Amino acid sequence: MQHAARRMFPYIALVLGLGAVTYAVSFGTLPPADFTWVNETEIQSVDPQKVTGVPEGRVINCLFEGLYRFHPETLEPMPALAERHTVSDDLKTYTFYLRPGLTWSDGSPLTAEDFRWSWMRFLHPENAAQYAYQLYYVKNAAKYNVGELAAGDSVEVEIDDRPPHPSGREQLFPRGTILRGTLVSITKPPEPELADGLSEEDRADALAQWKQRWSYEVEIDGSSRHFSKSDLDGNQRCRHVLFDYNHVGVRVIDERTLEVTLENPTPYFLQLMAFYPLYSVHRATIEEHGVPLWTKPENIVSSGPFQLQFRRIRDRTRMVKNPRYWNAQSVAFNVIDALAVNSNTTALNLYMNGQADWITDVPGPVIPILQDRADFNSQPMLTTYFYRLCVEKPPLDDIRVRQALNLAIDKRIICEAILRAGQVPARSLVPPGLAGYEPAEGAERNVERAKELLAQAGYPNGRGMPRITILYNTLESHRTIAERIQSEWKKHLGIDVELENQEWGVYLDRVRSLDYHIARAAWVGDYADPNTFLDMFVTGGENNETGWGDPEYDRLIALASTQSDPAERMATLHKAEEILMEELPIIPVYFYVSKNMVRPYVGGFHGNILDRHDIVHMSVDAEEKDRVLEAEGIH
Amino acid sequence: MATSSSATQHPAGGTSGTSQPELERYARLLDEARQIKGVSLGLDAWRRLRRNRVAMISLGFLILLSLLALLTPFLPLQSPIEQHPQDRQFLPPRTDGVSLGLASINSPDEYRQRFEQLFHKRNGFDHLLVRARLAIFGDWTIGSLFGTDELGRDVMARLFWGARVSLIVGVVATLVSLVIGVSYGAIAGYMGGRVDNAMMRLVDVLYSIPFIFLVIFLISIINEETISARLQNYGINQITTFYIVIGAIFWLTMARVVRGQVISLKNEQFVEAARTIGAGSFTIIFRHLVPNLLSIVIVYLTLTIPSVMLFEAFLSFLGLGVSPPNVSWGLMANDGIQVITPVKIYWWLILFPGLALAMTLFGLNFLGDGLRDALDPRMKDR
Amino acid sequence: MVLTLWIVFTVAFFLMRAVPGGPFQEDRKLPPEIEANIRAQFNLDAPLHEQYLTHLGRAAQLDFGSSYKLKDFTVNEVIAQGFPISASLGIFALVFAFTLGTAAGIISALRRQSWLDVSFMAMATLGIAVPNFVLASLCIVLFVFTMKLLPAAGWGSLEQIILPALCLGAPFAAYIARLTRTGMLDVLSQDFIKTAYAKGLHPRRVILRHALRGAILPVVSYLGPATAGILTGSLVLERIFALPGMGSHFIDAATQRDYTLAMGMVLVYTLLLYTMNMLVDISYALIDPRVRLD
Repeated sequence: MQHAARRMFPYIALVLGLGAVTYAVSFGTLPPADFTWVNETEIQSVDPQKVTGVPEGRVINCLFEGLYRFHPETLEPMPALAERHTVSDDLKTYTFYLRPGLTWSDGSPLTAEDFRWSWMRFLHPENAAQYAYQLYYVKNAAKYNVGELAAGDSVEVEIDDRPPHPSGREQLFPRGTILRGTLVSITKPPEPELADGLSEEDRADALAQWKQRWSYEVEIDGSSRHFSKSDLDGNQRCRHVLFDYNHVGVRVIDERTLEVTLENPTPYFLQLMAFYPLYSVHRATIEEHGVPLWTKPENIVSSGPFQLQFRRIRDRTRMVKNPRYWNAQSVAFNVIDALAVNSNTTALNLYMNGQADWITDVPGPVIPILQDRADFNSQPMLTTYFYRLCVEKPPLDDIRVRQALNLAIDKRIICEAILRAGQVPARSLVPPGLAGYEPAEGAERNVERAKELLAQAGYPNGRGMPRITILYNTLESHRTIAERIQSEWKKHLGIDVELENQEWGVYLDRVRSLDYHIARAAWVGDYADPNTFLDMFVTGGENNETGWGDPEYDRLIALASTQSDPAERMATLHKAEEILMEELPIIPVYFYVSKNMVRPYVGGFHGNILDRHDIVHMSVDAEEKDRVLEAEGIH
Repeated sequence: MATSSSATQHPAGGTSGTSQPELERYARLLDEARQIKGVSLGLDAWRRLRRNRVAMISLGFLILLSLLALLTPFLPLQSPIEQHPQDRQFLPPRTDGVSLGLASINSPDEYRQRFEQLFHKRNGFDHLLVRARLAIFGDWTIGSLFGTDELGRDVMARLFWGARVSLIVGVVATLVSLVIGVSYGAIAGYMGGRVDNAMMRLVDVLYSIPFIFLVIFLISIINEETISARLQNYGINQITTFYIVIGAIFWLTMARVVRGQVISLKNEQFVEAARTIGAGSFTIIFRHLVPNLLSIVIVYLTLTIPSVMLFEAFLSFLGLGVSPPNVSWGLMANDGIQVITPVKIYWWLILFPGLALAMTLFGLNFLGDGLRDALDPRMKDR
Repeated sequence: MVLTLWIVFTVAFFLMRAVPGGPFQEDRKLPPEIEANIRAQFNLDAPLHEQYLTHLGRAAQLDFGSSYKLKDFTVNEVIAQGFPISASLGIFALVFAFTLGTAAGIISALRRQSWLDVSFMAMATLGIAVPNFVLASLCIVLFVFTMKLLPAAGWGSLEQIILPALCLGAPFAAYIARLTRTGMLDVLSQDFIKTAYAKGLHPRRVILRHALRGAILPVVSYLGPATAGILTGSLVLERIFALPGMGSHFIDAATQRDYTLAMGMVLVYTLLLYTMNMLVDISYALIDPRVRLD
């Protein structure tokens, strides 16, 4: 036996090895796509209401469509699924009229109700959409999403009788029986006592458990009934008690007419209609397959120019033309590929080798060389790179120190010598280029003044200054910029600054808990309006994260949201930004530029400040493509 | 064969029942034997090693490298961290450099400030070396013979300062792994049976833990401000934790190899002989078995230092390496590959760090080979 | 085996939770209510030991749940898609490393101190001495852009696997060559080889049947760690060549705190290493006549 095993061993090993090799080389071949672009990282989902990223947006804009779609060059919202809209005189009511004869990719009709239902799903607390606040402009939408209730509110109660879902996982849709009525009162057991040392998460968990034991008294059709989310005596068990969605400002007038009422005039509301979280999704598919199975290629029903064919994780998302799209005759491609490539050096390799037609980013060091090429497409963007200063931490609690730090940085050098893709030095938070808005620029670089201010603050030549740290997340260019600023502060102000590199999760955690001195940050405008930058720094704002607050600033931001005259509103926002640039809880460093490389044979690609490029507008000149690739020696 | 010489080398352990004069005679004999052996083993090996030219060149190179790394502050190099983004970016190798601007400063405060701009914070020894350098060379520096990088820093200066970090990480981590690995493996292999089983089971378990996760987690835990502050109190910085973590990972292979070797050695005659004359397990393992493992251990050692250095580079690639203003070869190599693109190749940024790594590892390997040939008693007859 | 997996699971679970930062942190902070909704949805609000037991129970049934980050897929689907790719790459690299390594090692040992030996060992040392990401970048410049022979990146054809497999296998080929050479020299100096020669056996037979068997032992015991190394190395190469294997999932799952995916990955990796080490032990016993089979 032993001997046999020993003798056989080499042969067995050989057979195993051969088998493995055969297995390894067995590939299927894939027909090439008409258009291929590098879509950065693997997308998290194709469910428009579950994601927040830019790469996701590019794919979702192929698969789905909203009421409006941005013009590829001017970003003017152009009618898409809606053919037109009207606005009431108080600027608070929008009425959208859908195109006639719209259908989903499975042939079922697409109606105003689809939007109403989709937005309900988007806002439902159990759906937990991270972008839900994008719809808070709609009347009562925030109440529905947050689930805070007061006596007298109209409420909807979902009874705990959801049908078991065939997918085997618990699903939000279809929902249980919905009862509607008026909230009379909430009976709460005594609030749990929370120890001081508890972490924020533990605290939230304890409160959530406490809320489970609340009892809601609701008057339904004249009779009073009691509901609770846990088994309490005398209470009917329910899943949710929410603000009544029928009282949220979304109303279906008829199959093709949708009326939306807002809390306040919102000048950029139409832009949101071209923003993917607000696209409609197919109710029947979601109810039948549930999340996430409805997104599988064999299940998904979509409304956009393309349909999902398959997804290979971290390789490609392949889409094919949707013949039922309302504007299908103007879609240039039959097959498109979105490649998931993390490294921008690899992306450039793919592009140069003819394996991709469009890449969205290029490695920093080669930008000066690429800039001379016609196919390098660089445009200013609505994105600001800045440093947050934690104003609760000495010495940064002293405004003079903050100003001195700002004055000593040579932002021009950072842009010209380090970034070198035409980035613009920033002296304001809001980037230039927004129609009707003049950014409030802070002081120019002035080393002498910086030294004076620092001396006034009690740290002449940096003496006695407590040690401060610049925190940044792991990325080459963050490090380079931080090193540059570190050496400049050392040189001009005599300050010792440490650099701290953290990976993303840790970095976020630290910034959020204000456990930092100076932290690198960037903000991408969600819509083309200064408000997307400025409302971030109201006192206690979720994304403030500096500990800074100013009542006058808060007042101006609040005032602007109620002003209907665009010029007045912009003036108010400008005043607010002036305060911000004087107080400097943040130091703006530079404004981003897009770094697209697009093959010259691709038509319909335009630069714009949101760096948004929908594939539906693009086309490829096949002859030109052959010619170009031939000339470069690529077969 | 090793058996005859090895057997005489081993002193008797417990010779109960022998008379006093006999014991003394034995002791004298053994003493003589030990003396002869001690002289011949070391000298013999050295003589053989000296005949191996490649190994000697490697040894010389490594010694020179270590000396240079140690004396880096004394060398008339430019600053490894001062940036010149405007006028000195991506310069190909050239002969002009940037003068230090340190020698003429008199006020101690300004001196300290300028010093830290140029070299960051350093210990007293390095300060002394810089003083000596200023006395001899003044502000003069060697030109940027290896070019400059993205921020206009001198590549040659960075290579020398990086050598300090890379070499220390490599050597210390390897020593940590060596000590743990050899003792663990030898004990397991010699004991055999249940002890061996249990010990190797533990190694299996540890082996099966994907250590890259561990490293990522450990590094982010260690970098937490509260924890890093506490560690700093004990004088432990990021680099120190680095090589402890790495060393703690790399001992596993060593343990396995040593165990395998011990298992095949332990039935050999010289072990039997030692056992017959009553040597204890501990003595057998550490006096008799371990010296016989020397050749394989040295081979692994010369291979482990390189892999530790490469692991450091790998971590740099993932962005988890040493953080600026510290610099290591791995970090530089990673910076280098960022600028290898189809449109432009700044070859000096990858060539020189790559060359430095490769030459060091070359040297280590050839030296290892030479040592192996020199030390292996079984090669004696040939 | 089960014990190993359990220990790994437990250590990884608690280590991961001990690190600051959670899976649902995005660039911009969410209102606390939305955050609470999300945490409730993924059961992150339960006490840690309860979460541990739930996850352990599911893992025991090989159900790792949905990935937190790749929301359209379960962890099992991610592994099912990524594993074959990494496996193909790994097998290719290993076969390449093993064949080339042993061949070079044997030749070197037989022609000791010749120019062939020196140049082989120089190449082997170079293979060990150059980080694989540097090697990969150089290969891309050479084979893709200068010679225009191979595609730059991607997955799906034989052409696309060659370059990454070569770069992945190179250091291991080098390592194996050295080990083979060392082992071979060891064996060749032993008595039974001399006996074999003395018996008048054909040198080729002596080398292949007798010497190689002993010389290959260190190589075989190295195959276990080599597998681990190849899996780690593929982290780098999968990133450079944009290959959709498991390697890039490892890093991303860990750094993005994708708890479920990370756990799944750790366990698959553990299982793989364990199996490989076991196979190595068995082969060791089968090749080395000095080890008794029990």
